[in-house]
Amino acid sequence: MKYFYYVIAVVLVVTILAVLFLPGVDDFVEQTFQRYLGRAAR
Amino acid sequence: MKITMRLIIIIACLLLIPFTAVATAAIKQRFADGPNRVFSGGPLVSGEIYSGPEPDWSFVNTIPTIEMQLLDPPRSRVIWTVEHEAKLYVWSGYMGTTVGRLWKRWPVQAERNGKAILRINDTRYERELVRIQSGDELDGITAAITSKYPSRTTRTTIETGGVWLFEATPGL
Repeated sequence: MKYFYYVIAVVLVVTILAVLFLPGVDDFVEQTFQRYLGRAAR
Repeated sequence: MKITMRLIIIIACLLLIPFTAVATAAIKQRFADGPNRVFSGGPLVSGEIYSGPEPDWSFVNTIPTIEMQLLDPPRSRVIWTVEHEAKLYVWSGYMGTTVGRLWKRWPVQAERNGKAILRINDTRYERELVRIQSGDELDGITAAITSKYPSRTTRTTIETGGVWLFEATPGL
């Protein structure tokens, strides 16, 4: 379990860095979120 | 019991990944010059401020979306717009659902303080948003909306509060 927490922590840091600095990742996240949000708001 | 608890923790940790991605993207957008899709952007900074006579707004009928920033709070978003009888309109749907009300907070903010900046084709227009809830002009406005967009906006949805419609009047 300790190893799992370690992996999750690393994945979270990588996710944040990817969204902040990798071109297109933030837009992909927003597009995906928009799809689910639009469905939920109907 | 221990296995159930572990399963819950694992699922929560896995859900944390998309949540973090969404939160990071939303926070990042707040520092940008304008919005992107669904997350609010920062204040509209670039683009000349329009000064002069009231523009012929019919050109917006060929533009899919515009950017709109309220002065209070100074956040921007992408919205649909339409021109009808030389007047400019913006609106928000989903106002009749709980998720929609949580998502679309700008209409409530705009009703409180309608001062806004619209950025269209890299030009910023200072406007005052005035909510319209009734009147015969709703028929023409909703017809313009539905002919431009795949929208189910009707006079009734505006009158019952499912859609909040604003006229973007001149000035600040």
